[in-house]
Amino acid sequence: MATLIMNELYDDSGHKEPGHPERPDRVTAALAGVHDLHLGDDLAIVPLRAATRVELVRVHEGSYLDELGAFCYSGGGDIDPDTYATYDSWVIALHAAGAGLAVIEEMQRRKEGVGFIAARPPGHHALKDRAMGFCLLNNIALAAATLVGQGERVLIVDWDVHHGNGTQGIFWDNPNVLYVSTHQWPLFPGSGTASEVGGWHAIGATVNIPLPPGATGDVVRRGIEEIATPVIEAFAPTWVLVSAGFDAHRDDPMANLELTSGDYAHLARTVARFAPAPGRLAMFLEGGYQLDALRSSVQAVLGSVLGGDGGNEPPSTGGPGGEHVSRAQLERSAALSLMHNASEGEVES
Amino acid sequence: MTPLHTIAVGYDGSPDAEVAVRWAMEMAVATQSNVAVVHAAGLLEHLNTRFSRDETPRVVLSLAGECGLDVERLFWYVNDGDACSVLLRAGEAPVAADLIVVGSRGQGQHPGLLLGSTSLEMVQHSNVPVVVVPMPRPFE
Repeated sequence: MATLIMNELYDDSGHKEPGHPERPDRVTAALAGVHDLHLGDDLAIVPLRAATRVELVRVHEGSYLDELGAFCYSGGGDIDPDTYATYDSWVIALHAAGAGLAVIEEMQRRKEGVGFIAARPPGHHALKDRAMGFCLLNNIALAAATLVGQGERVLIVDWDVHHGNGTQGIFWDNPNVLYVSTHQWPLFPGSGTASEVGGWHAIGATVNIPLPPGATGDVVRRGIEEIATPVIEAFAPTWVLVSAGFDAHRDDPMANLELTSGDYAHLARTVARFAPAPGRLAMFLEGGYQLDALRSSVQAVLGSVLGGDGGNEPPSTGGPGGEHVSRAQLERSAALSLMHNASEGEVES
Repeated sequence: MTPLHTIAVGYDGSPDAEVAVRWAMEMAVATQSNVAVVHAAGLLEHLNTRFSRDETPRVVLSLAGECGLDVERLFWYVNDGDACSVLLRAGEAPVAADLIVVGSRGQGQHPGLLLGSTSLEMVQHSNVPVVVVPMPRPFE
């Protein structure tokens, strides 16, 4: 059994808004999923730390950080119709971002284990210069950028039901980060088509697999196998980070995919195989708003990658979307051809 | 100057947005152009649908009537995303607007707050001209 390396929990009770689905209970539910595994000595808790400004400017503009901090300390409020901040949100967000760094530092020291970052607010919608989609700071992007700064090649797999537009945007033109996302489409934030393949310096380093409402786990698996796996194998990552959102679960109210905890366990096993060595796989909590589904899915995912059980719900099959996977492959190929032809033409001229 | 074909205007149900929609419609009547009223459906709208994707809100239809805009020239779009991203995409197909109109402050935004300001983001990033319509303020 591998060791689970998790962050010490920060008191996030000050980051909440009445009736808002992104709430402190989410981390409590995720933590319950961890406790359900009865890991005993195989659970290591890493002390808290806040991300520093020097670290955060790797992925965010300094002016945005200044403005967000000042907004919180002035009492906070609604940043947009989805996204709020309170007086406490700035410090809580700094600790959510720092939690990923602390877990990864411990994994690097141990050279073993699987990382799990149970912190909020989530991060994958946060742009370099803007909060959105419940997200203030992009936690996984900060971890990835830090690893890239150490010479690593980072695979980010984002299985949250919403496309991680913030993470994609931050690494759009970075050939050292491969971003792979499965998500419902159309759905917020509206990005994430298969023809989005990366910038001129990172052609192909973005892989989007958009799925229709009702899609089941077999379709997600097919998309990963047929579209993403060859790209990941060619990229040869030295680290694997996961934007582990659990709102694609069939019971989650925020979307319409039909995944089960068994599907998440299968996905986790698949993704874990891309990690080149022990101690190079870390999962960041993103979405997931139905607390029972969140708890059982966290248990299933971590159980499967640590070498235990893979969830008490069977993987789902039979939903729509097979043709969407085929179409996504065609759209991606067409976009890649266009970009390669254009870049070759530029070199020749 | 190239004649206007389509004016896109953001609508979130706020009083500021209504002022922007009215300005866009009056401009469309004056320039014989179309108006695409665009609503950005955010994350929370999956839980609580605010506007039908198929039916133009009555407030918008009423504004069109007041401005004398032919409903044949009025188009209603609900697109997923934050307001800024959705309005930026209005400059591309299928809306393909050649002018984008926004209110000075959207729903849920604080007065004077730059953080999350759709109008500021639009002015900075749009590829087509942007008009920011201020909310009329009472005399002080």
